[in-house]
Amino acid sequence: MRGRREMRAGLAFVSPWLVGMGLFMLYPVAASLYYSFCEYSVLDRARPIGLANYADLARDALFWRSLLNTLYYAVLAVPLGLVLALSLALLLNSGVRGLTFYRTIFFLPALVPMVGLAVLWLWIFNGEYGVLNVFLSRLGIPAPGWLTDPAWSKPALILLSLWGVGHAMVIFLAGLQDVPVHLYEAADLDGAMWWHKIRHVTLPMVSPILLFNGIMGIIGSLQFFAIPYIMTPNGQPARSAYFYAMYLYDNAFLYLRMGYASAMAWILFIIILTLTLLSLRLAARYVHYEAG
Amino acid sequence: MQAKRPFARLIIHLVLIGGSLVFLFPLFWMVSTSLKPLEQTMVSPPQWIPSEWRFENYVKAVTHGSETLGYIPFLEYAKNTVLLCLLVVTGAVISNALIAYGFARLQWPGRNALFGVTLATMMIPFPVLMVPMFVLFRHLGWVGTFRPLWVPAWFGSAFNIFLLRQFFLTIPRELSDAAVVDGCSELQVFRHIIVPLSRPALAVVALFSFLYTWNDFLGPLIYLTDQRMFTLSLGLQFYQSQHGGTEWHLLMAAATIVVAPIIVLFFFAQRTFIQGIALTGMKG
Amino acid sequence: MLRALRSAAILAVVPLVYLGFTRGQWRPPDDGRVHISYWEKWTGFEGEAMRAVVEEFNRSQDRIHVELLTISQVDQKLLLATAGGVPPDVVGLWSSNLAAFADRQVLLPLDDRLREHGITRDHYIPAYWDLCEYQGRMYALPTTPASLALHWNRALFREAGLDPDRPPRTIEELDEYSARLTKRDERGRLLQMGFMPTEPGWWNYAWGYYFGGALWNGRDRVTAHSPENIRAFTWARSYSEQYGVGALQLFQSGFGSFSSPQNAFLSGKVAMVLQGVWMGNFIDRYAPHLEWSAAPFPYPAGDPELAEVAFVEADVIAIPVGARHPDEAFEFIRFVNSQRGMELLCMGQRKHSPLAEVSREFIETHPNPYIEVFIEVAKRERTFSAPKTPIWSEYASEMNAAFDEIWLGQRSADEALRRVNERMQRALDRWLESVARRRMEP
Repeated sequence: MRGRREMRAGLAFVSPWLVGMGLFMLYPVAASLYYSFCEYSVLDRARPIGLANYADLARDALFWRSLLNTLYYAVLAVPLGLVLALSLALLLNSGVRGLTFYRTIFFLPALVPMVGLAVLWLWIFNGEYGVLNVFLSRLGIPAPGWLTDPAWSKPALILLSLWGVGHAMVIFLAGLQDVPVHLYEAADLDGAMWWHKIRHVTLPMVSPILLFNGIMGIIGSLQFFAIPYIMTPNGQPARSAYFYAMYLYDNAFLYLRMGYASAMAWILFIIILTLTLLSLRLAARYVHYEAG
Repeated sequence: MQAKRPFARLIIHLVLIGGSLVFLFPLFWMVSTSLKPLEQTMVSPPQWIPSEWRFENYVKAVTHGSETLGYIPFLEYAKNTVLLCLLVVTGAVISNALIAYGFARLQWPGRNALFGVTLATMMIPFPVLMVPMFVLFRHLGWVGTFRPLWVPAWFGSAFNIFLLRQFFLTIPRELSDAAVVDGCSELQVFRHIIVPLSRPALAVVALFSFLYTWNDFLGPLIYLTDQRMFTLSLGLQFYQSQHGGTEWHLLMAAATIVVAPIIVLFFFAQRTFIQGIALTGMKG
Repeated sequence: MLRALRSAAILAVVPLVYLGFTRGQWRPPDDGRVHISYWEKWTGFEGEAMRAVVEEFNRSQDRIHVELLTISQVDQKLLLATAGGVPPDVVGLWSSNLAAFADRQVLLPLDDRLREHGITRDHYIPAYWDLCEYQGRMYALPTTPASLALHWNRALFREAGLDPDRPPRTIEELDEYSARLTKRDERGRLLQMGFMPTEPGWWNYAWGYYFGGALWNGRDRVTAHSPENIRAFTWARSYSEQYGVGALQLFQSGFGSFSSPQNAFLSGKVAMVLQGVWMGNFIDRYAPHLEWSAAPFPYPAGDPELAEVAFVEADVIAIPVGARHPDEAFEFIRFVNSQRGMELLCMGQRKHSPLAEVSREFIETHPNPYIEVFIEVAKRERTFSAPKTPIWSEYASEMNAAFDEIWLGQRSADEALRRVNERMQRALDRWLESVARRRMEP
């Protein structure tokens, strides 16, 4: 009955998105694919050069270095972040008092502009005067130079990322509160200890959230840019904190090699797609959606 | 899962308290440093609480800037940031609500396929879009203005569309059907039925858009060339001296000012924030 | 009440959007003058010095008004602005930026205008004129020059039993003096260093030049991996080897801001430092009681001909392509480069002047007691500066990363320099190919 009117209305309502998606998503995706096969400095026109950019990337030691740095970061930061977020959520869900209070405190850091606080963390991680090292040395633990030590610059950044798990924690918390109580009761009847309950009831029940947070985490960590741009410019020391998105930005806006940067962008896109598909594949096997 | 034994409860409390201290510590340190005189900021062992409270650091940071770098138009930056946030929030709420309505409450051929494509676009990493968008804005003559930072928000974003669509789907069909029977156009159904019922979801879109714009760094970095037009996130950079070394007390004062509105906003809109986050995570 | 609020909110959208479109679009006041924008990097008293020149120019005539804006990371911003089609009329850059910008046609060649006004190389200390040239054309004029010299702390020399009037003349002497000037506490932590190659660490890529090496052959070959460079970087590494990387890092973490009394050299933590002509200012301002002297940087004992080596660079002023008022921009640049303008600027920044002709008064009243050292150094036979190649930005990045690797002991100088050489040679080849391609186009 609403038939044709609905169709016209439908298209009218989504028309801003058609423009938006076309201009700001589809056109750029196609254009950057084209640029990746060109030599392009923006100040001059784009000149097609075939696969040269991709061939150069394959031989580019800094490309591989930045990719490895980024993977190192992602592989550590994402799982650690998930574990921490879930653990905090579990603790909060255990019925202790002050749930709202604690939730607020753990969530707050995820809201603040990390970029503005990057300098604060530079201070905290300072090898000589930094609060972290002072604390560690009081406990008698030998303190590394963190951001001035190539072996510790990435771990420092990973630690920093853990500070922002509040976001994921809240999602987990909401999910935990949805787990049907009767499942726990059944487990109790079977005499299960708390870690059994976690393994066989909780984890399967929150697995969709794990999947979601995991994928978002991967996509985000592979594009890690603003914080290292400020805290470890040029990836110092010795390129140990030089991440993929930083090299991409430098190529695009510093060396004006936008074709090369576009090739890097597309490779990143393919990596993200692959990892997402893999995760979904894994999900099909392990993720448990509650029936009904 | 309820922790029954008091011993377990105690341990959990201790861990939570310890965790809270760790999580809050950087913010505490930021405020503490912002009130110190310069000599106390970089000492070892660290000065936890300033011996004298220099509230004038805040005034100095905002009006005077840094001693080595000269005047930093902090208030200008604040105005710029607020303007951008208002524009983005308005655009995001209006456009995404309209678009999500089209996806959720209307049937038309190709709708589901288009929605699928929309979801897929969430996986496009920003670097892929970065260079062509820069070129596009250059052709429009928009580089060096605020436009690239807020105009796209008026054309929808996949994430918000997804969020609102899910929410709109939960509103009972009967309500809109009844209105149509009464002779309402789709736009009227949207305005009078859907929107009033969707306040929580719209609030979430508004909040997250605000947050994103307030904290955005890369966008302003690329598109704002005139230093007078910078936003707060860029402006904080200036307190960091280029030659290594920083006036920490002024920087922390400025950082506190930048961070404070978000924290205040959070306290007032807590429930909405949490609801919004929960909404996003639930339907995989 | 709620409805009124809602209506107000809806109405507010229109002015909001209007603001969004128009805010920041500065329109110059309509006073009959041509308004030109000038982006410059200087802050603090250096910025004040240029401001004085701008005000003098604005006062001296009424056709052109220059608006000076202080921009941080001005080279990056210029690239973005030019790529975005909104460059300023005049821009202040570093001489090391010129090759890349000139090559990409970001800057306007000035030859015709220079000829028209009779400005030639003879008016300048040759090294500074040459810095502004790229492939036979001039793309900028110098504003303030820089040359480097070894600065030392006389009081610390005396303390260590060294003659404060006798600086180290050779690299070997430098190492010796440094050892005598280094102090540790009972726990072995460093309290004072004689010399630290990483302080200030602004020219880590350049050590090779002091040992007779070069970073490229000026045309088509990258020469980072040469015996002289290896020797230089191995020498730099000897410092971190001898004193310990960890100890040095810890020591360095404690340095304060460069422009503050906690500066490493100003606070007596480092006794000798390679620095530029501006250093005298910072000493006057932040550590007026510091007793100091300056002399040319040492050369390797076995190669006395290297005593003629000197590093120069300059701040330069140029006109971006796409500037709206290039003629007025050039008039301003000409004023800055007049003897009067230049001496005002360089005196304000306490540097020497890049012009060949300098008034007696300038030298006699100059606050930097060692100004003649810096002038002499700039006039030497073997001056060098950052390679004039468009790939310099990346090359510099790579050299700094390589220096880090060498300093930290991650790689030997030989290995690190070889890798840089390979990588940058490829980059240089790629660029030469793209130039050839451009030439073949109709």
